[in-house]
Formats: sequence, structure tokens, C-alpha cells
Amino acid sequence: MFLTDEEKGILDGKQGNVAQKCMQFLIAYGDAAGAERLVDLNGTVDLHPGQFWVPDYVITPEEIQTLADKGEKFKVPTFANKATNPGFIFDGWEGCGTLPNSDPEYHKKCMEPFTPWIRMGMVPTFSCDSYLVSSVWPAVGTHSAWVESSAVPWANAILGSRSNFDGCFQTAYLGKAPAYDMHLNENRVATVLVECACELRTDMDYDLFGWAVGEACGLEVPALVGIGKPTTGQIVKMNSSLNTGGQVRMYHIPGVTPEAPTVEDAFKGSKYKKKITITRNDLKRVYELMTYATDDHVDFVYLGCPHYNIEELQKVARLLDGKKCKTPVWVMTNPLTFRAAEMMGLQDTIQRAGGNLLSGACCGLLMGEMPPSAVMATDAAKQDYYITGIVYPKKLQVWYGTTEDCIEAALTGKWRGEWR
Amino acid sequence: MADTKKVVLKGRKVIGGVAEGEALVSKMPLMGWGNVNVKGGFTVERNHPLYEVPFKGKVLVFTEPRGSGGFVGYGRTRQFGVNPTAFLYRKGNNLTVFAAMNMKVPTVTDFDQDPTAVIETGDYVRVDGDNGIVEVLKRK
Repeated sequence: MFLTDEEKGILDGKQGNVAQKCMQFLIAYGDAAGAERLVDLNGTVDLHPGQFWVPDYVITPEEIQTLADKGEKFKVPTFANKATNPGFIFDGWEGCGTLPNSDPEYHKKCMEPFTPWIRMGMVPTFSCDSYLVSSVWPAVGTHSAWVESSAVPWANAILGSRSNFDGCFQTAYLGKAPAYDMHLNENRVATVLVECACELRTDMDYDLFGWAVGEACGLEVPALVGIGKPTTGQIVKMNSSLNTGGQVRMYHIPGVTPEAPTVEDAFKGSKYKKKITITRNDLKRVYELMTYATDDHVDFVYLGCPHYNIEELQKVARLLDGKKCKTPVWVMTNPLTFRAAEMMGLQDTIQRAGGNLLSGACCGLLMGEMPPSAVMATDAAKQDYYITGIVYPKKLQVWYGTTEDCIEAALTGKWRGEWR
Repeated sequence: MADTKKVVLKGRKVIGGVAEGEALVSKMPLMGWGNVNVKGGFTVERNHPLYEVPFKGKVLVFTEPRGSGGFVGYGRTRQFGVNPTAFLYRKGNNLTVFAAMNMKVPTVTDFDQDPTAVIETGDYVRVDGDNGIVEVLKRK
């Protein structure tokens, strides 16, 4: 891989031992990825705090503490995705009723290691959709390094920044990443034309549509036409499914997303490799794939994958207002939206109905920590499809449906959702 | 071996080294995070044709990754001694690269032919990671 004089200097240790180790990682990673050079990041970094992609290149807590003590900072605005190692509930854990998360000592122990990261400039967003509350976004055409299923397509497709799935301490500290894949213009051009032949009406429709397109496209870059005018929450759900049912980290919505004013622009004048039409039957097939239950007795409802935004929390509070849940329900959001929900009385409304408003984690991230249950219900394809693997070898049934279906299940203890 | 046929694929090195073994082929993408059982060394993705099929010691051949950054779990199987002996895939991204860097076994991608079309489960495969060359001894 080509290195500039500055980069060679870092590799030779001229900027200290930690910078040298970070550079060694980026070079090993770039070589394995087939990158020819590094790119200077001028966007943002989104990373799982405490996690290192390859433990051989770990930067130790002591080393990070030393950097923080010296006043060193990350090179670009850096945001905390969820902590993964271990995952923990950031807010509302006091009432979650499960261990280890309801133990105050556990919470303290989990938070401690992040003090030096925060002193180095990491914004304590602690969320899979930190981009919804990050207060700054990378500009179109900048280079970033993000993580997470729903986030990476947000960076690439929605914002027009250039990001692989490689946010981490090293990219944030050096402000560099291997220049390949999404950083190169030629890899961002659409290759597959996806026509949506049915009207996408509900949040669930966008979740199912994303999965169907992801399955059909894999690592290709689709141009999506006929998908209507999705809300923020619907785009987040669609992105999450695009990058779970498949590996779609970049797409275009001609006329909407910044790199494709028209369909022709999306394909840069080339012909598409493949054209796909998504019908209501495709959505139904994914719905059936997500329905992994036969027992209509529901004993746990999980909402908030990806972490709910304020509009989604308002909807849940409205549906629960003045009612009483029969089953435990967890409603997960990001820490900053949690604070807004507190101020707005939404947390109160959810709690009075017997629900738990929480932030910063999910059942999957917590390795299946949830109220005792054999049958859960959720409105997110991603959480649905992973959770059965996460609790393996334990058997767990999972109902999938709209947010309304899930709330009804929470209130009645019965699943009544069906394909409509 | 009169009853075997040799096919050679040329690809791009991800991780060097030489290894050989029996192929385990997935024509369906592999998904990580909770759907790879890191201690057991198999996928626990419901509906997957390779559900609970161990890949320890096999040349694991697959189409593409999909899903979460937890795909790196395929590489972490090495910590539990249940990793594949080589890692071959049609198309990847940084998730397959990170998995390979953890697995530390010969890894090749970007082939001149689709490896999941050429290689079948049970074929004997020799992988030269350094040169990106994969020799397939077809059964029958």
C-alpha cells in the first residue's frame, strides 16, 4: 500500500507508540482489503466504544488513559455507537428487572472504561442510530468511518458521505481509513434497478421492503424507485433491513438522495446489471420468514430496533396512555432521545402502563438478556432474525408485526397480528 | 487419482499461507453476530442449509456476507479452536476482511470464477493464500 511521508513517519513511531500501533492496524487491514492507499477522514467516525475489530491490534485501556491524560483528541467528530463488550443498558436499567443490568454496580463497572474515550472527544451517544442525535453530520462527498447496519447506509446513501463498516479507535485517532470500496466513486454507482410495484404504507412495509431488496441485492448498489416518501423512522427501518437481509451499504433514491438527482445519474449513464420488481407478495414472504411462532400467548414485547426516535416514542406513549400491560414491554431508544422523552412525560406514560423505557442497548446486544420468555414479539426484522440465534440453544418463538400489533400483544398478552 | 478431476481458481489474496481440506460450501450468504455460534463453530441462522453444521477444519466456501459487524465472529471461532482451515468467498467487504484477520487462515476472494458454483461440499481443496490460487479436486 502506498504511504505518504506523514504516514511513513507514523509507522516509524514519530507520533508515538499508540499512533504507530494504529497505523500498523490500518496497513494490515488495508493490505487484506486490497486498498492501494489510505484516505484522510474529513467526515465523522461512529464506533463501538471499547471494541477492537482485531484483538491483535488492541489499544489497551491504560494506553487510552495515558492519551486522555495528555489531552490528546480524536481527529474527527467521533460518536459512540452501542458498547458491545459487554453491552449494557444506559438509561432506565434500574427498573428493567433483569440481571446483570439492574445491578447498580454492573452499570458503574460498564461505564468506567469510557471516561478516557469521552475525554478524547467521543460524544456519549451510545446508540445504533447515534446519527439521529449526533448534532453534526458529515457533508456530501466527505470520508467517514461508521459502524452498524442502519447507520452505514445512512452515511453513504442519505448523507452522501463515504464510509465502509470500519469505525474504530484507530480510524478515529489517526483520522484515516483504507481507501477502497465505498470510498471510491466507481463503487458507489448503482448496479441494480429496484422497482417497487406496491404501495409502501406502514413502517412495517419499509422494514419488509428493505429485507426483500437486501436479499436480492447482496453487496450490489440498488437504485430504488417507486418507494413513496418515507419518514425518518421508515428510512431507518429500511436501512436496517437492507443491511441485515443483505449487505446493502449504499443505494440511491433518484430525486431524493444526494448522489442521484435522476435515475440516469444513479447509474452514471451505464445500463443496470439487473432489474428487480418488488411486489406485495415479496413483502408477505418476508413477513412469513419473520413470523417464527405458533403459540399466541406472548410473554415479552421488544420495541426499538433500531433505537426508537421521538416520533416513535410518542406513538408508543399514545397507544399505552391510561392502559395497563399484561406482559413486560421494553421500549428502547438512544440516550439523548431518552432525555427528551423524560422531559415530555413520555417515560412517565410508558411506565404508568407497566412498560419500561430504556436506552443504549437491545436484547440481542445483551446476549438475550430479557424478562423470562418463551414467546416474544417485536416490530423489527433485524432483532427478530438475530434473537433466535443469540439465545441458542434455548428455543424462543418470535412474533413479528406492526408496532400496533406489538402494543396490543403487550396489553392483552395475546398475539393477534396477521398479514393484511 | 484417476477418478478425480482438478479445477484451478485464481483469486486475490486476503490472508496468506497454505492449507488444504474438505470443502463446506454455502450458496446462501453467511450472517454473523448472534447467528454464528462462535464456541461451536457453526451457523445458528434459522432457515440456513448449514444450520448446526460444523465448519471446524473445513475449507469454508461461501457467496457473500450479510448483516451486522458481528460477522467478525466467524474469525473469533479461532479462539475456541473451531475455525475453518481456509476461508474462500465470492465477494466480500470489510466484514469478511476483519473475520479473516481474526481467523488467520489462508483466505482468498475476487476469483475468476464463482467458487460456490465450482466447488461442492466434499471436494478436496488446496489453498495457496499467498498466490491466491485454489486447486479443487472434484470427487467422482
